[in-house]
Amino acid sequence: MIPIRCFTCGKVISTSWEEFKQRRSAGEDPKEILDDLGLSRYCCRRMILAHKEIIDDLNPYQ
Amino acid sequence: MQITFSRFDDNVARFIISGFSSAFINTYRRTMIGEVPTLAIDDVLIYDNSSALFDEMLVHRLGLIPLKTDLDEYVFKKDCSCNGEGCSACTSVYTLSVEGPKVVYSHDLIPQDPRAPPVEENIPLVKIIEGQKIVLEARAVLGRGIDHAKWQPTLACGYKSYPRIVFDNKCDSCGMCVDECPRNVLEIKGNSAAVVEGKIEDCTLCKLCERICIANADTWDSPAISVKTVDDTFIFVIEGDGSIPVRQILEYAAKEIQTKSDNLVDVLCDISGGNVND
Repeated sequence: MIPIRCFTCGKVISTSWEEFKQRRSAGEDPKEILDDLGLSRYCCRRMILAHKEIIDDLNPYQ
Repeated sequence: MQITFSRFDDNVARFIISGFSSAFINTYRRTMIGEVPTLAIDDVLIYDNSSALFDEMLVHRLGLIPLKTDLDEYVFKKDCSCNGEGCSACTSVYTLSVEGPKVVYSHDLIPQDPRAPPVEENIPLVKIIEGQKIVLEARAVLGRGIDHAKWQPTLACGYKSYPRIVFDNKCDSCGMCVDECPRNVLEIKGNSAAVVEGKIEDCTLCKLCERICIANADTWDSPAISVKTVDDTFIFVIEGDGSIPVRQILEYAAKEIQTKSDNLVDVLCDISGGNVND
């Protein structure tokens, strides 16, 4: 799952993930999306950019 | 002493503060980060968790959810009349009871005290599939940022010295510094470089302009432009996570510094046997 907050500054970034994922798969430029979502600092931007969702791979196992 | 706000919202404040030493400004910054209390989930009773996340992982995520905090309503657990057992004056209780398939969000967390809900409703906690379920009861208490970052009310909270850019009369308006400046603070005005009006606060004191100036000088031994700072003036930026309005963080931190320094004076007087006025 996407971390709740930015590791560095503590801003809540997890709320932006679903919109980012959706708009990214629609082919939008990541820079535009991140600017739009109000993630101005590079610490918060890397949280979203560098995230890989693996919960679906883990979910069959308890 | 002077404070000028250039931005003052509920969650962000930016101001110029002058007449203080950097030591005091840093004290203020540290107090805002570390000493202003907020609510955060600290104790969780898990009745059932069959999700893919371990209990500890799930609880860690719960702890990081910012909660609306009314500092007049809650007291520290250790100072509470219940002697640390946990009552409605020091503890806010939340229940979570969900069954898959669904994504569990922070709005699934039901607060017993409607005045202390999660700040944001759409924080994803975990994704569960058919047959998985989570039932838990979480208790939030007041705490301070020095104990754990989850109790920090601030996000970006910092200051920089107020920049002052001085031009020497040997400037030949070559324009190198204008191109070099990453924040576009400089321009050529007449036969010398100058600061663009109103942009001086954007300067990050990186001194790239000084470096390019001296690198391209043939006969000088010092650059024609120098970046200095105004000694007792600082640009302060504070951002809140929404649990407490920024105004309250600023006020509480100032009071906290006062209390602490008063306590220090009392202790010093006790040790030396003198009185407060000496």
